[in-house]
Amino acid sequence: MTDMTTESTVYVTYIATTPERLWAALTSSEFTTRYFFGRTVESDWKAGSPWLLRMPDSRVDVTGEVRVSDPPRRLVVSWNVDWIAEKLPEAVVSYEIETVGGGVLRLTMTESHPTPIPAALLEGGRKGWPMILSGLKSLLETGKPLGIPAPQPPKEEGE
Amino acid sequence: MSRFVHVIYIRTTPEKLWDALTKPEFTRAYWCEAGSAWRLMIPDGRIGDSGEVVEIDRPRRLVLSWRNEFLPELRAEGYSCATFEIEQVGDTVKLTVTHEMDRDDSKLIDGVSNGWPAILSSLKSLLETGTALAVTSRWPDNV
Repeated sequence: MTDMTTESTVYVTYIATTPERLWAALTSSEFTTRYFFGRTVESDWKAGSPWLLRMPDSRVDVTGEVRVSDPPRRLVVSWNVDWIAEKLPEAVVSYEIETVGGGVLRLTMTESHPTPIPAALLEGGRKGWPMILSGLKSLLETGKPLGIPAPQPPKEEGE
Repeated sequence: MSRFVHVIYIRTTPEKLWDALTKPEFTRAYWCEAGSAWRLMIPDGRIGDSGEVVEIDRPRRLVLSWRNEFLPELRAEGYSCATFEIEQVGDTVKLTVTHEMDRDDSKLIDGVSNGWPAILSSLKSLLETGTALAVTSRWPDNV
């Protein structure tokens, strides 16, 4: 019997940058290739538009729809992992950007699961988001991404 | 059980991170060997939190018992446990802070859940850029 869950994963980090730069870092490949394990993003980032996350070998990793786009404060996207043969229920990822003073922003990333998923599948996000968002903070504050080794690229099931 | 976990990756060495966590010139906290008492001082001289060093293995692991001292409601909850684990990953260091208390709906754990992300973000900035974040470099005026 697999444990099912609708638990969210929340990661909060504080970054010395501007909301516009942080928004650009979340939505443009020029930045994401440097902190999101080499991945590129594609979208016009308008509410209702499709978006996708592509692996460095150009396979599609994640697809979804832009649910809320309020630059440079709030971005909500649906999140469907594309390379897993067994279709998983859609997740929702939101980024909230708040100004806390002194040139510092609070970024809150929430990965939520409106439909229950096997609890073990939360592990990917719980391991990955701290790496990704630590790298994003370093990139924006120092101009250099972190040298965290990328997790093994996922294999397509059935190969 | 109440539990908060925060993981952050910092471009530094385990030794520098250890010193940043334990040396007063960085944190004004004092903790040294297992069994000894530690205190986290508020800049105005009050004791913020205190406890004992439960386990120490420089520069990898530090376990502290931890009680709030300046907010009666939190102090009444008694001791919690804070664990710091440091691990080299590529050219960075992975820091995992786990703060837990053996009671449900702990207000202390609720409080530190807000505090740790800000403090650890600032620690990362300090080690990587030489400057801490303004948001945590001063004690808040109204607390």
